[in-house]
Amino acid sequence: MSESELIKKIRQLSEIKPRKDWVLLTKSRILGLSSQPEREKVSVFTVLKGLFFQPRMAFVLPVVLGLFIAAFTFAQNSLPGDLLYPLKRIAEKGQALFVSEAERPTAQLGLANKRLEELAKIAEQNQTPKLASALDEFQKSAAVAAKNLKKPQKITREVVDETKKFLENKERAEASLGAVIGGEELDVALSQAVENAIKDLGQRTLTENQEKLLKEAKEDFSSGNLMGALDKISQMNLK
Amino acid sequence: MDKSRKKFSDIYDQCIGKIYRFIFIKVNSQEVAEDLTSEAFLRAWEAFKNSENPNSNNQKIDNPPAFIYRIARNLVTDYYRQKGKFQTISAEYVQMADPEPDLEEKAMLGSDCEMVRAALSNIKDDYREVIVWHYLDDLKIPEIAKILGKPEGTVRVLLHRALKAVRFALNNGK
Repeated sequence: MSESELIKKIRQLSEIKPRKDWVLLTKSRILGLSSQPEREKVSVFTVLKGLFFQPRMAFVLPVVLGLFIAAFTFAQNSLPGDLLYPLKRIAEKGQALFVSEAERPTAQLGLANKRLEELAKIAEQNQTPKLASALDEFQKSAAVAAKNLKKPQKITREVVDETKKFLENKERAEASLGAVIGGEELDVALSQAVENAIKDLGQRTLTENQEKLLKEAKEDFSSGNLMGALDKISQMNLK
Repeated sequence: MDKSRKKFSDIYDQCIGKIYRFIFIKVNSQEVAEDLTSEAFLRAWEAFKNSENPNSNNQKIDNPPAFIYRIARNLVTDYYRQKGKFQTISAEYVQMADPEPDLEEKAMLGSDCEMVRAALSNIKDDYREVIVWHYLDDLKIPEIAKILGKPEGTVRVLLHRALKAVRFALNNGK
């Protein structure tokens, strides 16, 4: 046998190979690895990342948020009967949740005032189809404001101002519509509130000027001039 | 998978076949070859882990394949020393991964392989190693010289004598 033939035969020994399953098993035994492909570890962060930080979600979330904010902004100028009006009411209800008990009458009077402004606007623009829902909104709002005014409370400058504004707005709305718009419950509550304020002020130590204004307020109230009475009370610089 | 585990995994993939063959040629038993090969890699992994650990004083393993060959060689020596076993020649353990030749060819090939394997198992360890490294593992003379820590000329002489020893063993039917 020549050297090259011998080498050729030696090279044939390269056919000696270990069993494939034994190779894998031994590797896993030595290195402590599973013979199965390693699974990716799942952490809480990975799950949250998957839920909120997917490329598509990253794009969609700001867009949805932006549309939401835009809708609420546009809704502020909407009128009863408009598509976006319910959003305006939701926003107002949300804000009302953060108002303290003491500030609630002022806040509710403020909302009643807004309803009156809406009503006046509808009347001025002659948007008749929206009138019914606007009146309904006003009456609901007036009822809530009246309920809050009936509770015993100190009459503040803000309440006086809002009440004055309300009476003015109501007068204007009724003039535009040429009809009485209701809300008598609130009128009664306001009258009661003014009466209570006059009684409360009568028990306080007042300056000469304040006593004079109080006297005039009593006269206005007796004559049914609620606006006049409120005007005098507001001039007394209540704290 | 940590870094050293990944590195050793690559070394394992690269060397497992060669070390198995190196051992099998000597012991001529699939079972024993598998046991000794696993043991060689297990010891190598332990040493490798320690050498990779910065807190360990163990020296870094420069040439992992050569290191595993050295372990395998010692294990084979220990195996024969402790068990007092004699090598038996049997063709049934030679695994032919190759394409399926016809039965006659297969028998001839198997027979030739077995004769060569038997001859290799009966020559000096140094001779067998250089033959395996050069002709089966395709290591160049300078690489073998580096593993053995001998001059290249010495390796060439060793290889020449090794081939002569194989031919002698074949001719004498050992």
